[in-house]
Amino acid sequence: MIFEFLEALDKRFGFERASAHCDIPCGIYDPSGAQIAALTVVRMVDLMAELEAKGGEKDKAYQNSMARYVAVKEEHAEKAKAEIRVIWGDYIKPQHIEKHPNVHGLVHQIMMLGSKSRQTADRDTAVQFVDAINQFAEIFWDTKGVKTKRAKAPYSPALEMVYPDL
Amino acid sequence: MLRVIKVTGESLSPEYQEGDYVVVTTIPFFLNRIRVGDIIVFQQSPYGTMIKRVEQVLQEGKQYFVIGAHPQSVDSRQFGPVSKEALIGKLIWHIPKPSK
Repeated sequence: MIFEFLEALDKRFGFERASAHCDIPCGIYDPSGAQIAALTVVRMVDLMAELEAKGGEKDKAYQNSMARYVAVKEEHAEKAKAEIRVIWGDYIKPQHIEKHPNVHGLVHQIMMLGSKSRQTADRDTAVQFVDAINQFAEIFWDTKGVKTKRAKAPYSPALEMVYPDL
Repeated sequence: MLRVIKVTGESLSPEYQEGDYVVVTTIPFFLNRIRVGDIIVFQQSPYGTMIKRVEQVLQEGKQYFVIGAHPQSVDSRQFGPVSKEALIGKLIWHIPKPSK
């Protein structure tokens, strides 16, 4: 209850932040966390559709499973957005923007698709979310001078993903 | 006197996680009595406001060697001891984010 109270105050007034993080100087950035999180969103949408298609009673077991899928979808959509924001805000530099002038628009698109993926159970939106993050991954790896390749994820949903070609 | 601060990052995880709140005291009486193991909030250029655990108290309480729990934590191992002047507060209450 105290936590919820503080959350409400934070939303309204914004408490000071204290960083316990390591991302600023250690230089460890990788879009794979966002890619996997976005893929998880699609997987949850698929599981929700499968559960719905089974029919039958909307009993406790059904409600429990559906609630868990929705919760994980919410969590991972937000996680993907957060991971992209950190890379965009802390890593992307003017020289990267010069080479990839579409990066701001792409990040904004990712934020919008992530929010829509939370608001809806629309598979097309979730797939677009994955696609946009893949495009961001290509830009990211290009800034590192690392070539990329596209391959299907070796698990469901087997969507095409961008991987560094090391 | 008291400040509420939200934790970002994971260097003090699993005890202190991203999204947790902490209440710190800024009362000099407590700031003059920083001990090993205390969690402190301080200003560290160029990182801004940071939160870490005190591993050593140096120079008769004028400096603190701070560390995070995470192997990739950025702390005194990189930026050296934190001076007392940079100290913002000492943690007195931890309000963790509820687990799902």
